[in-house]
Amino acid sequence: MTDTTAAEPTGGQTRDLSGARDMIVCEDVSKWYGDFQALDGVSATIKEQEVVVVLGPSGSGKSTWIRCINRLEIHQEGRIVVDDVELTNDLRNIEKVRSEVGMVFQQFNLFPHLNILDNVTLAPIWVRKKPRAEAEAQGMALLERVGIPEQAQKYPGQLSGGQQQRVAIARALAMEPRIMLFDEPTSALDPEMIKEVLDVMKTLALSGMTMMVVTHEMGFAKEVADRLIFMEGGQIVEQNTTELFFSNPTEERTKLFLSQIL
Amino acid sequence: MTDTTTQERVSQRVPLWRDVVVLKWVTQIVLLFVVLSVMWFLASQAGDNLRARNINTDFDFLERPVDIQISEGIDTHPDTGGRALWAAMVNTLRLSIAGIFFATVLGVIVGLARLSDNWLVRRIATSWVEVLRNVPLLVQMIFYYSAMTAAFPRLGLETGPINGWLHVSNKGISMPRVHIADGFYQWMVVVLVGVVAAYFVRRHRQRIQDVTGANTSPILWAVGTIGLFGLIGLFVHPVFSWLGSVFSAVADLLDSLPVAVPQLLFSAIAVGGATVWIRRFVSDHRSARGHLSLTDDDWFRIAFVAVASLVVVFLVVRWSGLSAWTLNSGRDLFEVLADKFNVDGAARPFDAMRPDIVQPGKFPNYGKNGLTMSVGFASVFFAVVFYTSAFIGENVRGGILAVPKGQTEAAKAVGLRRGQILRHVVLPQALRVILPPTGNQYLNLTKNTSLAVAVGMSDMVQVGTTVFNQTGRTLPVVAIWMLFYLSCSLTISVVVNWFNVRMRLVER
Repeated sequence: MTDTTAAEPTGGQTRDLSGARDMIVCEDVSKWYGDFQALDGVSATIKEQEVVVVLGPSGSGKSTWIRCINRLEIHQEGRIVVDDVELTNDLRNIEKVRSEVGMVFQQFNLFPHLNILDNVTLAPIWVRKKPRAEAEAQGMALLERVGIPEQAQKYPGQLSGGQQQRVAIARALAMEPRIMLFDEPTSALDPEMIKEVLDVMKTLALSGMTMMVVTHEMGFAKEVADRLIFMEGGQIVEQNTTELFFSNPTEERTKLFLSQIL
Repeated sequence: MTDTTTQERVSQRVPLWRDVVVLKWVTQIVLLFVVLSVMWFLASQAGDNLRARNINTDFDFLERPVDIQISEGIDTHPDTGGRALWAAMVNTLRLSIAGIFFATVLGVIVGLARLSDNWLVRRIATSWVEVLRNVPLLVQMIFYYSAMTAAFPRLGLETGPINGWLHVSNKGISMPRVHIADGFYQWMVVVLVGVVAAYFVRRHRQRIQDVTGANTSPILWAVGTIGLFGLIGLFVHPVFSWLGSVFSAVADLLDSLPVAVPQLLFSAIAVGGATVWIRRFVSDHRSARGHLSLTDDDWFRIAFVAVASLVVVFLVVRWSGLSAWTLNSGRDLFEVLADKFNVDGAARPFDAMRPDIVQPGKFPNYGKNGLTMSVGFASVFFAVVFYTSAFIGENVRGGILAVPKGQTEAAKAVGLRRGQILRHVVLPQALRVILPPTGNQYLNLTKNTSLAVAVGMSDMVQVGTTVFNQTGRTLPVVAIWMLFYLSCSLTISVVVNWFNVRMRLVER
């Protein structure tokens, strides 16, 4: 926390983050799957406490990009620096970044053989070496925060999709990350469950978490995002503050996408 | 009350052959009767035919002398048929248990190697699996046997202790061994005390770990406690020599008891057990408001348990030999235990001995001093271990691949390291896929050891064949074989199923 000048989160209103520290810096990131180029010179900087929503059609590389940021995919060219640590083949750097960055997946990926509380406390106990009692107290507090403390002793298979995704958020928060990545967190959910997950994410954004969200939820983007990034074909087509992005898109492709989706 | 009478009249009008309750009872009883009569018919027919052809089916050969030489094990020159089969059974069990252990270890390594990132390791593991599972087990066994007998030097004719640690010859491999000596049983008591102490030490360390989060290595402490007691026991074990007189007293007590005591005890256990079972069964089927709902099936089970307990009581009273035998066995057991403890106070628990060579007949062989693995045993052992490891390796690979990729990704994303991911996320989920087919492989391995007859290793089948050739009791020996292999298989099944239930996922 070198800089505390970041403005109060105002929820969608443009706030001045120009003085904030850089949390994620990507420079000319490229990645290929065989002959197919998934990322083509992606460059972007995400500031501390900033909420960035990444949009784009299927196959545009947005998931690949977000997965590169905690090294679930390996980029082949360019640089990715997360909280002043560059992602290279250095195992120590990778572990450092992963323990600073939380991630939430489309398919929740909870551990089905552990109960809800154990899902949340597994990493704090084994990675952070926390005492079990302390980890469980923190885990219960997090479950409280995402609104399902009464399910702590159940197993993932016994919960609804929305509840599972909220547990997944609590599990990521248990490592006390400085950045949260969301990879289409609501795409696998029934419509009435989407809201409960988005509400948790909004609270998280208001608490000042640096967030990068791949989603198709335009309402969420308008309400919470500081900035939008539109991708296609592995490239960033357009990025702008939320207001300008929706009111005054400059690229033809963005206009077409927005006309289809809104 | 008119309603009730109408209902009664209606129910009275149901003829017996349409009443579901009556039909169910009649079916159960008729079925039981049919099964019992078929069994009785087959048994009596077989008995008549065997008698007519003068084939003996009694088991007296177990106590009659035989002339059998067994290649290795607890007794190489057993004096009776029973002792020969017992020694052979120990050999088969040794093969199976050691085989299951090493096949599992090797199988896990092979399975993980097949998923390795390293190209060379992956290729080697693939070749291992493809070669070993595609060559018949018998061929492999004979190959190892001929390779070892051809490649190893001939066993020398000189007798006596062998210098050096490891002795390899065409008769097998022999190495020094630690023998159980007179003081061993007293020492074991000290170790048992250590095991109890270790339980509390482990619990204590675990509690500290849970409270403070520091790694207190409770398992290591428990093992260390047992080791410490074992070490102390080497010096203080004679303090337990008084247990010998206690065991003698128990043996005397058992000897003086009348047969009626175990008879009463067994009857009480049968009736008491049945009563407890029925009461629990009934209370399990009582709803919260005290309403009892039992199906006809439930009534049949209750009746069956009650009748079975009465049958047991009848048998125990009628057949007093069983109770007398139990008393005598108990007395013998405690007499043996008393003998083990009534030893010279300075007796050591252990003795180390080097292998030796003896010449009982025409050819020299290893004596009893060393830990010897014959070429026959080695070839069967390596054949079943390698062969089964190929199949277990495939099970392990399949089980790990069955864990969704998202699980590993989620575990990576929360910062777990490779080993932690394997231990806490992948293996617990893979095990429930790996275990059932691996249990089958354990059963196969146990049954496959019967191929040992091909390389002259004295297993259950080889010795049993010799026994019935000498005594003419084919059917009893076959019955013993079947009972033995069935017991092994059922034991393995029970253990594997127990693990399976523990591993099951909770869903809904």
